[in-house]
Amino acid sequence: MPKELIQLRDCVMQYGDDVILDHINLYINDKEFLTLLGPSGCGKTTTLRIIGGFLSPTSGDVLFDGTRINDVPPYKRMVNTVFQRYALFPHLNVFENVAFGLRMGETVIGEGNARYKKKIPESEIQKRVLEMLEVVNLKGFEKRSITALSGGQQQRVAIARALVNRPKVLLLDEPLGALDMRLRKDMQIELKRIQQEMEITFIYVTHDQEEALAMSDTVVVMDGGKIQQIGTPEDIYNEPKNAFVADFIGESNIIDGIMRADGVVEIFNRKFQCLDKGFGKDEPVDVVIRPEDIDIVAEDQGQLKGTVTSVTFKGVHYDTIVDFYGFKWLIQTTDFCPEGSRIGIKIDPDGFHVMKKSKYSGMFGDYSSYSEEYDEINDPTLLDQAEEEGTDDEE
Amino acid sequence: MKKRPGIGGRIGIGIAFLFLYMPIFLLIIFSFNQGESSAVWQGFSFHWYAELFHNRLVIESVATTLLVSLVATAISTVVGTFASVGLYSMGRRWREGLMTVNNIPMMNADIVTGVSMCLFFVAFFSGWGSFAGWVNSVQHVIVLPDRLKLGMATLLIAHIAFDIPYVILNVSPRLRQMDKNLVDAAQDLGCTWMQAFFKVILPEIMPGIVSGALIAFTMSIDDFVISYFTAGSSTQTLSMTIYGMTKKRVTPVVNAVSTIIFVVVLVVLIVNNVREARLEARGERQHRDHPKLDAIREYLGSPKSRWMKRGVALVCVVAFVTVVSMLTAFTNSQPVVNVCSWGEYIDEDLITEFEEATGIRVNYQTAESNETLYSLLKSGGADYDVVVPSDYMISQLIEEDMLAEIDYNAIPNFSLIDDRFKNLPYDPENKYTVPYTWGTVGIIYNTTMVDEEITSWSSLYDPKYAGQVLLIGNSRDAFGIALNYLGYSMNTTNEDEIREAYNLVKEAYDRGQFQGKVMDEVFQAMEGGNAAIATYYAGDFLSMQENNEDLAFVIPEEGSNWFVDAMCVLKDAPHKENAWKWIDFIASTDSNLRNMDYIWYASPNTEALEKYPEWYEEQYEEPLDEETYNIIAAPPETLERCEMYVVLPKHIRELYNELWIDLGI
Repeated sequence: MPKELIQLRDCVMQYGDDVILDHINLYINDKEFLTLLGPSGCGKTTTLRIIGGFLSPTSGDVLFDGTRINDVPPYKRMVNTVFQRYALFPHLNVFENVAFGLRMGETVIGEGNARYKKKIPESEIQKRVLEMLEVVNLKGFEKRSITALSGGQQQRVAIARALVNRPKVLLLDEPLGALDMRLRKDMQIELKRIQQEMEITFIYVTHDQEEALAMSDTVVVMDGGKIQQIGTPEDIYNEPKNAFVADFIGESNIIDGIMRADGVVEIFNRKFQCLDKGFGKDEPVDVVIRPEDIDIVAEDQGQLKGTVTSVTFKGVHYDTIVDFYGFKWLIQTTDFCPEGSRIGIKIDPDGFHVMKKSKYSGMFGDYSSYSEEYDEINDPTLLDQAEEEGTDDEE
Repeated sequence: MKKRPGIGGRIGIGIAFLFLYMPIFLLIIFSFNQGESSAVWQGFSFHWYAELFHNRLVIESVATTLLVSLVATAISTVVGTFASVGLYSMGRRWREGLMTVNNIPMMNADIVTGVSMCLFFVAFFSGWGSFAGWVNSVQHVIVLPDRLKLGMATLLIAHIAFDIPYVILNVSPRLRQMDKNLVDAAQDLGCTWMQAFFKVILPEIMPGIVSGALIAFTMSIDDFVISYFTAGSSTQTLSMTIYGMTKKRVTPVVNAVSTIIFVVVLVVLIVNNVREARLEARGERQHRDHPKLDAIREYLGSPKSRWMKRGVALVCVVAFVTVVSMLTAFTNSQPVVNVCSWGEYIDEDLITEFEEATGIRVNYQTAESNETLYSLLKSGGADYDVVVPSDYMISQLIEEDMLAEIDYNAIPNFSLIDDRFKNLPYDPENKYTVPYTWGTVGIIYNTTMVDEEITSWSSLYDPKYAGQVLLIGNSRDAFGIALNYLGYSMNTTNEDEIREAYNLVKEAYDRGQFQGKVMDEVFQAMEGGNAAIATYYAGDFLSMQENNEDLAFVIPEEGSNWFVDAMCVLKDAPHKENAWKWIDFIASTDSNLRNMDYIWYASPNTEALEKYPEWYEEQYEEPLDEETYNIIAAPPETLERCEMYVVLPKHIRELYNELWIDLGI
């Protein structure tokens, strides 16, 4: 049984009428890699800042190791943060950046939960900083100026600066957002390695679902200040709770359906076998069919028949858009079907995932407007800029 | 490709720079002029710089200016920086509103800032007076001073107040450019907010703070108007001293001082710009370029240096407190006398001698005209003991009961004053005054431009000299001369007579008789031979003659104005005993001789007046030209023709003003 380290209990964050967090309840286990995933404005960064101590929730409790820490300022929390654009100190060199936290002393919890700072001897600071620079592969960079480092190197300094304090929890706020694709993939592996080596809890904020699925033990999908689903990456992908999660995680065709009986779902007035149970008879539902779960067959053998409207070559597969009775589906297949051809499709019972209707029903899952640009809109570096909170006015 | 300016644009730029820099360039050149003229080059010399460093008034005001500017800069930099941080952490709407409010004082006319501060201080002082009186009446443990005055403290407060906006303006952009997460990061790593401020924010915004401080410093050094209204009588900044110096005689000392100020400000600006350009070019900081700097930084960052830093800070604080308390103790414990006179109106060695002989410190200030002096006294901000107004202003001050009766027993040297200068119309019973100097107004003309000997005011209005005459630039003298020419009294209150005089001047004015209305510009115009005839003071004629031997002076046969400037003591003077001593010292024969020699205005001391030619010969080993002597001190028969101004009734003063305005510009 893993130990529970952090608990958010019924946390609300509100500015005037603006509800940023809407009754959040969340448990975070020790040594867990947990990701807060969601589009910009979903409340994930706010949640992180509450844990870091930079914000205090309007109501609700934050517990650390069973103790309420709502009023403990950031400098007394055993938590460290890797900031979005690193927030390294430009006037200090690499060594001094990393040593910064150690020079401020170590937080010790004494009698009756009183927290005080204990000084760390200079020799130990030297040792710990050099060790940590080795962990992040920056040995020999101690004297470098921050401004002389590349983005990836700055990222490593930021991680070293946070980890050298041996926090119980490391908070990472979109740490890879500013890196290019290749470097991002490398750093994902690197971060996972560091987390396992150091054996501490990582709370990771991102809007990149691939990143979330690849690294996390637990993924928390958020939207509109609410937690939409908590689960392992597999759960989240295979069993999305609603249309929002289904759409946000991977590609999904989401179709209106009616549950005719346990194991029988009706779409486009045709009944299909599925594995889902426990819905009311004739209950309207959302049906998710992942693009890779659809097999293309000859038109006369298909359970459904449609016309190919566009084909895009993606390397491993083709993205094929097919029009079924006015509803456009995305199918990912290795078979090439030319534009305009008539095809049939077959879906196995385990290819269907049936969800209860939610406020997100009808908002996602139609590929009518699908185009290459869709990927660009999803580009994390672009979204990253929109994530910044309201009042900043950088010139 | 960059667009190059066209020929028109280039000429425009050329003209703009010419107009901007030519006057300064001329000023710098003439600061090295050997002679006194600001129009005629008489050879290269450092003479005026040497004089400058012996000029006690200048040296003292430089010290005041530096002290005020440095302290004001230090305080306003600290306050402004914290204010910027406060603004930065506010919401956008509040911040922008407050930034606009912050910018207003910089745009606002200095005169408005100065006057309003003066009003504020005076209002506060009167409130304080009643408060202190009440406190002192209910208890006797702490005795509060009940009479506060404008001075160093108010000057400093005013400077701090107008410096702060400049600091905020420079620091705020640095703060906004700073990564907002830096403070969070510092707190995350164990800093309290204060520690984060000193360890992270401060180094980040330091370039803004330094340029803010430099600009505040130049603004402080530069300021005249605000200082003028808030410094009171016991303090004088350099710019105020310079302004005072231009009152009576424009000497090249002013050029020398101005040159030095220009160079200092230029250097500060260049340093600031070079520093900013370097920061930009280097991408802010490059540790690798500076192994030595790196070592220093490392040392400063190490805990070993912490005690060192604390030590240095402690020494700085102690030094600052010592200097300030010494200054205040010095100025408080020493007996003083506050004197307000005119610029270039005393041989300054006399001040030093008086201080050495009596141990009384002389705060020697200057005002630029009788009217300014009057308004300074009326505003209640000044606490002068001795003032040296002219005759007509003295009668006005007596009328308004602002002067103290003088204790002539304490001034034995009063007996040396010639009887001719006692019991004059402005002080008929001689209860309030001890004469300082006297002089006459006459015609100054260029003998090469005039083909006759001039003896009458009539030549001023003679069409023969159309366009070559300079009209004296104040209504009392201009109309007074016309009245005198027409055979009326210069002090007439008959409106018809005054209108007749006006018509005379107006008629000449309209047909282009006068080149212009001038006061101090008369020096350049006459020395440079640009005008043939002018009316001005006898003492000043002698200065002009030094630079142009063709000039001649005459007191017309019709007569003229003669005037007396006399020392008076104010009714509420705080140091009356010291004032008697000062007046007695100045009234002595020796002082009178030296002042007469220095300022070329006649002495009222019988002995000095008689002995001057002899004394001059001893000093300069050449005889004094008799004609010159007669110009300085008009002989009694000439003086008999002359009339002294008395204060005119209010409605006549208003008539003068009205007619003067009607005359046109």
